[in-house]
Amino acid sequence: MFARLLWNLLRASRARLAVALVALISGAAVISALVNLDLDVERKLTQEFRTLGANIVVAPAYALAGSGASPMSPALMDESVVQTIEAMRTPAVIAVAPYLYVVARASVENSDLPVVVAGTWLDGIRRLEPAWKVTPGWIGSREERNLCLVGRNVARQLGLAPGKEIELRYAGNSIVETVAAVLEAGGPEDNQIFVNLPEAQGLLGSDKRIGLIQLSVEGSANQIESFANRLGQALPSLEVRPIRQIADAEGLLLDRIRLLIFTMVLLILVLTALCVLATMAALAMERREDVGLMKALGGSISRIVGLFLAEVGVLGAAGGLLGYLAGIALSRWIGERVFGAAITPRLDVLPLTVALTVGVALAGAMPLRLLGKVRPAVILRGD
Amino acid sequence: MTRLVEVENLTKQFGNVRALDGVTFQVEVGEWIAIMGPSGSGKTTLINILGGLEAPTSGRAVVDGTDVAHLDEKGLTRFRAEKIGFVFQQFHLVSYLSALENVMLAQYFHSTTDEKEAREALRRVGLDDRLEHLPSRLSGGEQQRVAVARSLINQPKLLLADEPTGNLDEANEEIVINLFRELHAEGHTILMVTHDSSIGRLADRRIELAHGRLVKVNAAAWIS
Amino acid sequence: MFARLVAESFARNPRRKLLTAAALVLGMAAATATLTVALDVGDRLAREFRSFGANLLVEPQSDTLPLEFGGVDYRPVDQGAFLSETDLGWLKTIFWRHNIVGFTPFLYLPGQMTIEHRGGKLSQVTLIGTWHQHAVPVPDGSTFTTGLSATHPWWKIRGQWFSDGKDSCVVGAALAAREGISIGEVLELHGSSSALSLPVTGIVSTGQEEDQAVLIPLSLAQDLTGQRGRFRQLYVSALTKPEDASSQKDPATMTPIEYDRWFCSPYISSISHQIQQVLPGTDVRPIRRVAETEGRILTRVGALLWLVTLAALVAAGLAVAATSATTVLERRVEVGLMKALGATNGLVAALFLAEQLMLAVAGGGIGFLLGLGLARAFGESIFGVPSAPRVILLPVILALAALVALTGSLVPLRRASHFQPAPILRGE
Repeated sequence: MFARLLWNLLRASRARLAVALVALISGAAVISALVNLDLDVERKLTQEFRTLGANIVVAPAYALAGSGASPMSPALMDESVVQTIEAMRTPAVIAVAPYLYVVARASVENSDLPVVVAGTWLDGIRRLEPAWKVTPGWIGSREERNLCLVGRNVARQLGLAPGKEIELRYAGNSIVETVAAVLEAGGPEDNQIFVNLPEAQGLLGSDKRIGLIQLSVEGSANQIESFANRLGQALPSLEVRPIRQIADAEGLLLDRIRLLIFTMVLLILVLTALCVLATMAALAMERREDVGLMKALGGSISRIVGLFLAEVGVLGAAGGLLGYLAGIALSRWIGERVFGAAITPRLDVLPLTVALTVGVALAGAMPLRLLGKVRPAVILRGD
Repeated sequence: MTRLVEVENLTKQFGNVRALDGVTFQVEVGEWIAIMGPSGSGKTTLINILGGLEAPTSGRAVVDGTDVAHLDEKGLTRFRAEKIGFVFQQFHLVSYLSALENVMLAQYFHSTTDEKEAREALRRVGLDDRLEHLPSRLSGGEQQRVAVARSLINQPKLLLADEPTGNLDEANEEIVINLFRELHAEGHTILMVTHDSSIGRLADRRIELAHGRLVKVNAAAWIS
Repeated sequence: MFARLVAESFARNPRRKLLTAAALVLGMAAATATLTVALDVGDRLAREFRSFGANLLVEPQSDTLPLEFGGVDYRPVDQGAFLSETDLGWLKTIFWRHNIVGFTPFLYLPGQMTIEHRGGKLSQVTLIGTWHQHAVPVPDGSTFTTGLSATHPWWKIRGQWFSDGKDSCVVGAALAAREGISIGEVLELHGSSSALSLPVTGIVSTGQEEDQAVLIPLSLAQDLTGQRGRFRQLYVSALTKPEDASSQKDPATMTPIEYDRWFCSPYISSISHQIQQVLPGTDVRPIRRVAETEGRILTRVGALLWLVTLAALVAAGLAVAATSATTVLERRVEVGLMKALGATNGLVAALFLAEQLMLAVAGGGIGFLLGLGLARAFGESIFGVPSAPRVILLPVILALAALVALTGSLVPLRRASHFQPAPILRGE
């Protein structure tokens, strides 16, 4: 009889309940989309933060980011370190690139200038430095050994443009490179020339040696710190240091953004409850007579209110389920619009959404509890 | 004869208005009592108190050995479910439940539902072909017969009817009144509020109220 | 009579209006709060992004190539061009002067000095002259205090920074660890033509080349190099707004209207343009790593937040509409009575709508005030600074309240126009 009553109740007030259901569905949709996003947003945003470039640097001890007192006399390490790092590669590592710096003399036609030359993997730094503006475009393969990238200041000083040749000299060695593109970084790189690693090694006359390695690792500040620690244990003779500028600020911003999303979810929950509250208040009004009658027939308060609460519960569960489905579509859409990548729907958001929606529906059903106070005599003579 | 209802010095005060003022009477098992009197004389209040819908201000109202005045909310609910059958002037069927479900609702509140018994009760009032109809598709007389079937379903000790024919045309009034006559013949105890003296005459006794006081009791009556 | 009827309705049955009013107040409070936060979030996050440090780099325009490496220029001090310190106050006179959070000049003395300290002697040490907290005179007569804490907030100091203009220094962490230099020690510096002793006030860790160097006040570095009032590089931290399609055009090709719009928006490109105007002969470039990241994240979070705000507005609207619907339906009897007395559907509708409108204005107004408080609290808890109230939102909120309250009552009113008075009055 309980189920039968419930069914009849739902059918009888369907127009009224539809409003509450719409509110519940839209609330649940937004919640499931946001929760889904929130679980994904950190990953998505940490990916975005990777435009900041390298956040871990590996170098010979005490020579971080350089070489003793100056790049003129660099401390070097063996190239095989890169293989060691690549071997322990985890999905979190976005990019790895070795660097070897030489201060060489660059000559083009009549100009001759000292310039910092960086030897690296020219096809690999694209992933390390996505923020750079490179015209006309990045180099596709490091197999084209003689191509180089020049900083915009270097290009300006030496009158270089893509296609031109440049000669680099250091301690009796000399190489000739073809300019493939001009880069704009807004930093020291604007004053440097980027060549392929073996070329720089040839120029310096130090085969298979590198100065430092830069890594771009995705994850929270803690994850990066612990990855750096693992790296440090694997490479005991080297210094591994996370670049704090990035990790700290990143963590702070992510916290803010998450808090923002959380606050919004809370607000929307309250508003959904408000909508259910309004509907249920109307229903309670409408049902005063029915409740009075049920009481006159000997129905106990717990049975009657229980019936109505079950009704709201069913409504909440339905709203949660439908809202979850709508939320998947919504988060997919947000993912594509905002992040340019589809956000994977997560099944574990379903129970959370349904539980929250049922909770909100029950909270919104507070007015129904007032029915417990209806005096049965109200029905007699429409009192 | 066994005494079923014992009302003693019953008083009900609504603010400044005294709806009932020291009413005393008794009802034996199987009696049909008509309660009569002008509007505002306290008839409905009397029925409400006897049915456990309202608490008296003072006095005693004992039904089948239970003093209604001393029951708490929970006790009153059980009392209504087990001992009382109500029939109202406005029928008061739940609009979204079928005739059968309306009868079963009373079973549900009493204990457990028994569909066969509910069908039987509706057949008893001549509605076996209207079981699945919603109240809106039943005539007034049919609705009231559903209400009567509902009031009987839990074998109550006392049937309380508040102007049961007040909203019915003559033909339907007769059907419903005949139903009450049959019930009376079967030995049910009935308290019926009415202002129709032709119906009042069918009762064993008539109690007349005016301004909350008992002014006249007909036939073999006691006033003490 | 109409006004009297409406007034009567409020006076007679205030409790019935309470539900709609409460829903309006809460719904509009939520709408105000989300809108305020959404309008604020760009500025707020832009400010948060300043924890990434400077986003603009200023260098002399006609210069030899800096031998710059890990943030330190290794050119000998007698080569290349310099910037003038006295011009810096002009930065706080540009159109977007309030968006200039801070700036720090740098002057490098690469590998020139020899240091003597307790543990031994060290040659070819690099010195970096800069500001920690320096009061810059602004042409309008005020001063602006700025330095490393604004442009390089992630630099971590153990001990204390040197005081501006005093003979003291801060040692890079790698150098200090390698040479065993500790705070409180006095370093003896010898150059080709100068010698001085500097007490160490702190050890700084930057994660870059500065860890290998000794940091000294800029004025001291200028004295040591003989480059009075000059420096090599200026790092500027400015609050900016993400670039969009209109900001990426070359200012030279813009129409006057486009130019004005661009000039009056705090794009990083327009701010660098304005800096270049007050510091002639300089080359102002956005630091792309920081600027790009900031732009992308601000755009994304902004879009996300507007979506959420929209959702919150829809939820608020639904809640208010549902409540309005409820109160109208509740009053069927009243409608029946009015119609029985000969009121037309139009009059009944007008009466109800007028009532809803008054409720909307009152509820929306109170909700707006409540929402401002809520937004303050949100701003405080999310960004640590309360959101400023935006009065401009008041008409928006009131219009929204009126819209949802009226829409909510339209459907039940249409139904009410079909009411037959008799059955309602009979209580059927």
